[in-house]
Amino acid sequence: MRLTYRILAFVIAAEVAIQAAVMVYAVAGLGIWVQEGGVLDKAVMESDEFAFPEVVGFMLHGMNGMMVIPVIALLLLIASFFAKVPRGVVFALIVAALVALQIFLGIFGHEAAFFGMLHGLNALVLFSVAVWTGVRARRPAAEPSAAQDAYA
Amino acid sequence: MPTRRGVRTAFAAAASLAVLAPLAWFWASSLVPGAYSVTDLGYADHGGGPAHHAGVSVPVDALVPPAGAAPDVSVVLTAEQGPFTLPSGRRVEGYSVNGSSPGPVIEAEQGQLVEVRLVNESVGDGVTLHWHGVDVPGGMDGVAGVTQNAVAVGEEFTYRFYADRAGTYWYHSHQVAHEQVRGGLFGALVVAPAAEARPVEVDALAVVHLFPGGRTVNGLDEDTAVAAAPGDRVRVRVVNTDAGPMQTWVEGAPFRLAAVDGTDLAGPEEVEDVSVTVTAGGRADLEFTVPEGGARVGLGGADLLFGDAPDEPGPVPAAILDPLHYGTAPPAPALSAEDADRVFEYAIGRRPGFLDGRPGLWWTVNGGLYPDVPMYTVAEGDLVVMRIANGSGEVHPMHLHGHHALVLSRDGVAATGSPWWIDSLNVADDEEYEIAFTADNPGIWMDHCHNLSHVLEGLSAHLMYEGVSTPFTVGGDHGNHLE
Repeated sequence: MRLTYRILAFVIAAEVAIQAAVMVYAVAGLGIWVQEGGVLDKAVMESDEFAFPEVVGFMLHGMNGMMVIPVIALLLLIASFFAKVPRGVVFALIVAALVALQIFLGIFGHEAAFFGMLHGLNALVLFSVAVWTGVRARRPAAEPSAAQDAYA
Repeated sequence: MPTRRGVRTAFAAAASLAVLAPLAWFWASSLVPGAYSVTDLGYADHGGGPAHHAGVSVPVDALVPPAGAAPDVSVVLTAEQGPFTLPSGRRVEGYSVNGSSPGPVIEAEQGQLVEVRLVNESVGDGVTLHWHGVDVPGGMDGVAGVTQNAVAVGEEFTYRFYADRAGTYWYHSHQVAHEQVRGGLFGALVVAPAAEARPVEVDALAVVHLFPGGRTVNGLDEDTAVAAAPGDRVRVRVVNTDAGPMQTWVEGAPFRLAAVDGTDLAGPEEVEDVSVTVTAGGRADLEFTVPEGGARVGLGGADLLFGDAPDEPGPVPAAILDPLHYGTAPPAPALSAEDADRVFEYAIGRRPGFLDGRPGLWWTVNGGLYPDVPMYTVAEGDLVVMRIANGSGEVHPMHLHGHHALVLSRDGVAATGSPWWIDSLNVADDEEYEIAFTADNPGIWMDHCHNLSHVLEGLSAHLMYEGVSTPFTVGGDHGNHLE
């Protein structure tokens, strides 16, 4: 279970990296499309049609961020209950909280760009914490302190 | 004696259960039955008026124009699914009407009886036609699962209604509409007035739609020249068939916003360097006189060119025309909030949760996730006031079927311009509109967001008349989807 825990933590970190990549891919595609004469307005934004192929980046970002990553964070939390990682539950909870915060910052970013800025910063925090959560769970801890700490 | 390991596993299992059980409960309680009547889910909201009396009810599909009269306009529309060629020559995958998209323009004169035979050639999910903006009788509204069953492949359905209001309208599928409308299953309906108030030399349509690869006007990808000479008076009927608001404007000439959602405005003054917002599903008619240098009607993609207009478009005007204070006010408003028989709140929000078992961030109506939404009950003859407040973070083009509503105020500021009648209203984030309408068209009428994907995400309610029932169900054997 410790291995599962570690893998899930690293998968979340990888997912954050993917989120950054697809977002910039989409924004770059949008810039090129506008440069070539495309007009972006709300009607285009709301259409599910691919006005330009890189739109797929926005869609992936949304589905990944709203569905896939929260599910993985939840699985990490459940894995933490079983994995004998000292303070593993605490770290899994922190990851889950950062994921939740990230979702809300992403949503509020549609209303005030400032939240979008925080969304970008929080992505780095989440990435770092997820990596550290995986790295620190490397060594099996000596019994029995691990068992106690896991519920700290 | 339990081992330490056993205790530990039990603790872990209990903790997992504590996390998962509430989620499972929320999931299970959000599930919508496989087939249901829209009159059975949600809760009745009487808006301060009397509750409905139980008693004899008329099925909604009995609310049709009298049989026997010969139609003045008769059209056959054949819906197909698959690849087709746009008027521009581009091949796209989607949904077509009579082999193309937009479908044929249906033209009628005010007062004429229109009869449209819809034939489903190959649309797998079934199809219907909704007459967007036309206050058709309740049984002719074309909402699958509410006013009829989806028309399956090989079947047909005949729509009959009197085109009793002149103006610009459109028709589109109301079955799996987010896909079918996006894919091209729509067309325009233009009702000419019996007597033209301000006759024009050129009457042009601009049906705007985003097909894969870019926005089109009347199915054309490029700017399109419309035959017109300097001095000609032009009316351009802009129809936004997309999912979000668009801007339109006239470059090179002053113009008037002559009509909104099919209804002429009173005393529209000439404006320049402003754009008009056309919300999703909405229409705007612009009028202008072609100047020597020509004029361009900007549509945010392919434009319409009149006369000797320059090839290159100028910038989009920064200012936006506000219909709340545009045109001439009548001596007394046609409808007043003080006379309301019922006052409804339609507050749009957004929160995470489960919608029919799907986790996500969904729209709410008055705080509830679909189907925990109000059924607005009215009796025929009621004056209804509805307050649409949007606190959801995004714009919503709200569309009430079967009625035209008068905008009374926005954010507490009373309308001071021409009577502004709408069937599709652009409610931006943090805006609150107060609208009023007379309940004069018995039926069961959807009142939903015309960003059609938002209907799937829960932004849908309906207006229900006393004494009207529906024999149809959402879901079930016909696979009816009410969006």
